[in-house]
Amino acid sequence: MINLRDKGAEIWERQGRLGRVGIALGGLAIAAALPFMGGTILNTPIADYESVLVYPIAMYVLMAIGLNIVIGKSGLLDLGYVAFFAIGAYTMGLLGTKTDLNTWEILPIGIAMAMFSGIILGVPALKLRGDYLAIITLGFGEIVRIVALNLGALGRSEGIINIPTPPAIFGIEYRFDSHRIYYWTLLVLILFAIWMVRRLSVRRAGRAWESIRQDEDAAELLGVPTFKYKVWAFVLGASVGGAAGVFYASKTLFIAPDNFTLQISILILACVVFGGMGNIWGVILGAVILGYLPDRIRFISDARLLVFGLVLVIMMNLRPDGLLPRKKREKAIVKKDAL
Amino acid sequence: MTSSLMQLKNVTMKFGGVTALSEVTFDVKKQEILGLIGPNGAGKTTVFNVITGVYQITSGEIIFDGKSLSGMKRYKITKRGVARTFQNIRLWGDMTALENVMTATDTHKKSGLVSGLFGFPVSRREEKRDKARAQELLDFIGIGEYADRLAKNLPYGVQRRLEIARAMGAEPKLLLLDEPAAGFNPAEKVELAATIRKIRDAGYTVLLIEHDMSLVMRVSDRVVVLDFGQKIADDSPRKVQDDPRVIEAYLGVPEDAS
Ligand SMILES: Nc1ncnc2c1ncn2[C@@H]1O[C@H](COP(=O)(O)OP(=O)(O)OP(=O)(O)O)[C@@H](O)[C@H]1O
Ligand SMILES: [Mg+2]
Repeated sequence: MINLRDKGAEIWERQGRLGRVGIALGGLAIAAALPFMGGTILNTPIADYESVLVYPIAMYVLMAIGLNIVIGKSGLLDLGYVAFFAIGAYTMGLLGTKTDLNTWEILPIGIAMAMFSGIILGVPALKLRGDYLAIITLGFGEIVRIVALNLGALGRSEGIINIPTPPAIFGIEYRFDSHRIYYWTLLVLILFAIWMVRRLSVRRAGRAWESIRQDEDAAELLGVPTFKYKVWAFVLGASVGGAAGVFYASKTLFIAPDNFTLQISILILACVVFGGMGNIWGVILGAVILGYLPDRIRFISDARLLVFGLVLVIMMNLRPDGLLPRKKREKAIVKKDAL
Repeated sequence: MTSSLMQLKNVTMKFGGVTALSEVTFDVKKQEILGLIGPNGAGKTTVFNVITGVYQITSGEIIFDGKSLSGMKRYKITKRGVARTFQNIRLWGDMTALENVMTATDTHKKSGLVSGLFGFPVSRREEKRDKARAQELLDFIGIGEYADRLAKNLPYGVQRRLEIARAMGAEPKLLLLDEPAAGFNPAEKVELAATIRKIRDAGYTVLLIEHDMSLVMRVSDRVVVLDFGQKIADDSPRKVQDDPRVIEAYLGVPEDAS
């Protein structure tokens, strides 16, 4: 099979500074232009194309980037990622309907709430490893949903309605049916998340996570404060999930516990695994494909989970590292030496 | 020169019914190369494991640099100045040689995640300094040319040396080497002996586990011998070699099985 990852990396490494800026801007322009492609082959026959761009696609991408910090970077299997999405969404729902705060003011609060719950869950759970961690996080995801289902203040199964849309910012109006505005805003959030992950990956934190993922005991014995960095991974992942949740609630105007089932955790996990754990571009590609296809092809939409399950099984057999696997290559300098 | 850096006092380590170490007592003096030998299963690696906090000792005491290590977190022990290599290589295979060493040099970094995220000058400065330091260590060990290669793709001998460079990255006072010459040919062993002496001369203290007698006897200032978890000798290489108990311990088991 062709190695897309290495092809891409090769093209990237051959560019000078100008070429790289060009590629980045080009990619961004394409992403930003997607809402105008509704009339083309990209159109989704099942749902409104522009709203599909917002949810699931952009929302999945954002969450997949967040979950990738936890699973891909530090190798911690989190099966309850939806919890942070829910906490962000309910923070928006509650504060948006009960106070005068607007979406932009609630966004940092929602992120903080998600991060805080990341600590609450992470500190006890991250003492465990592997399967045990997976089970605890799975439970946490369900607990958050069940609390929302049973707490009167959160509207029980009715959820919260009439959540306000974001107020105009920089002269941009957010009408609930102007999907492309939401999409572009999400694009900004996604860019910010990419910036954060890339920035962290090349420095101390990235090395610490990488060493933990590969051999946690060796990491600890060579002076890496593994627990601290695992909690950080969890908390940063939670912050991205929380941001997604706030924005989701402010877009759909209505949230209920049914929006935050285990299924979401699994779908986002599928995006990460399908795209390529640990490689941010792979994860984005995975989320775009898995977010888009069900609304493009009716058959998949009807049997979404079945198809996703099949895709994962096939992928695990053919390409266990995902579409774009993490860095496996050595720098070009060494290649030259080898010739 | 003769003041002690670490003391093991009556250290006992039991695993269920197995007593891996029994009342082991010895000193490690500053800037010496102390050989730790013994037949297979004598408890040598276990000594490293209890010093570095992998296992909590059943009884006894380990004092390092004037302070007890018991109950201390493993990464804190490393930070205090003890770093080790592993008998069965445990590098981070998907990282380059340089990154392997840099991950260890991070041990003494002041800047953390937040300053790294925002690119504070302190973080950038430290990053540059650590990178230079890591390269320096690779050069020192003689594997500088492999800096950008993934650890898992390196030849076996280079991986063994990288283990040493990585441990040195943590800037330890005491370097624990667990059979660093395992699988080396005689020429490589001679070279490694020189490297170990060079490490000591650079100011480190070395505790060396090694099966190859001629290597241990050549580089060590002093040798501690373990047998069935007990210390049976602790003396200069020459005297240890002539010690009847040591000869018996070694003749009682098959020749160097690892
Ligand atoms: N985690 C453990 N659980 C149970 N027994 C252990 C454990 N670790 C070590 N032992 C036992 O302790 C004894 C000493 O083992 P150790 O690995 O320290 O020997 P060694 O001197 O390093 O041997 P070698 O030369 O083969 O490396 C052995 O009998 C071993 O089986
Ligand atoms: Mg051993």
